Amino acid sequence: MNQVVEVSNLTHDYGEVVALRDLDLAVPPGITGLVGANGAGKTTMLRILLGLLHPTEGSVNVLGHDPEAEPLEVRARVGYMPEVGSLPLDQTAADFVAYTAELAGLPPREAKRRSSETLFLVGLEEERFRYLGDFSTGMRQRVKLAQAIVHDPDLVLLDEPASGLDPEGREQMLDLIKRLGQFDINVIVSSHVLPDIERTCDWVVMLDAGNLLRSAPLKGFEKDSTVLAEVLERPEELAAMIRQRGIEAVVDGLRVVVGPGEGLEDAIVGAAARLGTGLVRMTRGSASLEELFLVNGGKA
Amino acid sequence: MTEGVIYDRGYRTYEGPRRGPAGARRAVYKEGLRRVFGLGRKARAKIFPWSMMVIGVMTAIVIVGLHFAIGQAVGDAAPVELPRYADLFDAYSFISLIFIAYAAPQLLIPDRTNGVLSVYFSRPLTVNGYLGAKTLAYASVVGALYIVPQVLLHLGLGMISRDGFFSYMTDNLDILWKVPVTTLGFVAMHGALAFFFSSFVKRPGIASASFLGTILGANIVADQFARVDFPGSRFLTLIAPDQHPRIIRDFLFDRQGFFPATEAGFDAWVSAIVIAVFTALAAWFVHSRYRRLA
Repeated sequence: MNQVVEVSNLTHDYGEVVALRDLDLAVPPGITGLVGANGAGKTTMLRILLGLLHPTEGSVNVLGHDPEAEPLEVRARVGYMPEVGSLPLDQTAADFVAYTAELAGLPPREAKRRSSETLFLVGLEEERFRYLGDFSTGMRQRVKLAQAIVHDPDLVLLDEPASGLDPEGREQMLDLIKRLGQFDINVIVSSHVLPDIERTCDWVVMLDAGNLLRSAPLKGFEKDSTVLAEVLERPEELAAMIRQRGIEAVVDGLRVVVGPGEGLEDAIVGAAARLGTGLVRMTRGSASLEELFLVNGGKA
Repeated sequence: MTEGVIYDRGYRTYEGPRRGPAGARRAVYKEGLRRVFGLGRKARAKIFPWSMMVIGVMTAIVIVGLHFAIGQAVGDAAPVELPRYADLFDAYSFISLIFIAYAAPQLLIPDRTNGVLSVYFSRPLTVNGYLGAKTLAYASVVGALYIVPQVLLHLGLGMISRDGFFSYMTDNLDILWKVPVTTLGFVAMHGALAFFFSSFVKRPGIASASFLGTILGANIVADQFARVDFPGSRFLTLIAPDQHPRIIRDFLFDRQGFFPATEAGFDAWVSAIVIAVFTALAAWFVHSRYRRLA
């Protein structure tokens, strides 16, 4: 399977400030979350992927093209939704989205047709002839998403797409992003709101102060989860036996928190059997992205 | 009772042609024209630019009417020389200045203040392509403001000519290059200054006022330098931008005008060089500014 984005030894600095430091990562097709606190280097990364910034060191490949050497080829196949502003308030939604389609090279008639279709897709068909200045924040975010996908890109870069939205608007935006995945559009979503990433993404790239903390599938995070075992008696001895297998175990009354790691359930059942104590219940606690991010040193 | 059906049209891929950077530049150019003329905007955005165009056209029609009426009344014995091509540039010079003061900020400032440059430059569009398309849009609308009345005047004078239309046209072939060259001088000189202010000022009104204030202020200052005599003072007469296209126009139409630079002994070639230098400096400044913004 071809990677959507491949980054090798990527470093970018703004003079004294190092925004990205020696990153190596590959982003597979699907929806990827780019996670990090403000200033982690997310927007710098997106701008490098678009060829708007050049790496100080290292190489980048987007959809088979080097954005530094072939920026226009990359931008013709990529959609971008910036975090702030980016809408002409004196234009109608239909005109603006059609214009951005033409900017991507679509003929005018096709641009108009796709503008209507895309605004329909994001739920703005009725409002498409209204001026953007009259739109709510949620509607404006949806227009920004529409312009990012109107030219049928192979990859969409979304910079904090749910920023400034109320809970309902956030839900709608996340649903739209998930739908893009269903349409086989590759998406990279930058966000510092980790539950949003958990809800929408298949893969996650974690950045902290320009360093790569993690680039892995979200499902793989299960191996980082813990198991809570509640026993009838002798929890200390159970924990000790589990620790002998090199697995962390913390006692809390009659409960033992085991892990993280793999094969936790087997270790607990085996230890309880050898000890002859009864297991009341065993629950796998799914470690949230936020917990993992904090454990890894980030401050989301 | 009717039953409604909701169709989800879903998402359709696009397999048609993609025009690449050339298509992007064309889109910026077209959108520039639409913005200046208020097309696709609310009604009040259309009032000013279309009024200016109508006034420019009306000026030409009035001049043709004057020629016709006086020609009918007194024939060739008209007591004064009636305004013609070169005079038409003066007749609507104020209108054109106001129009440029409006058009250039409209072309550059809203894209920056609305923050849409990040969207535009995420498309296959370079800074050069963007600025080139904006410059072409400016040259088209301002050039039209100069050229359309001249064309009407030319056709009108041809139609009322006693020698006949075609004879008039062949006798005045030089107009076909003199008017465009003069227009180029006005468009370049004023455009350089208007784009310069519009590239860093955030409010269109302030950019317009800065442009007009510089044009008028520099004329006054240059006029004062023409009256004093100290080492290098004659070169300072060149600072008034508005005089240079007029000096070129007078040279082309074989007229004698009085401007600070001509009083200081400079000719039309110096004005052409000044326009070229002003334009190059403004282009460099605007380009540098947008390189940082992209």
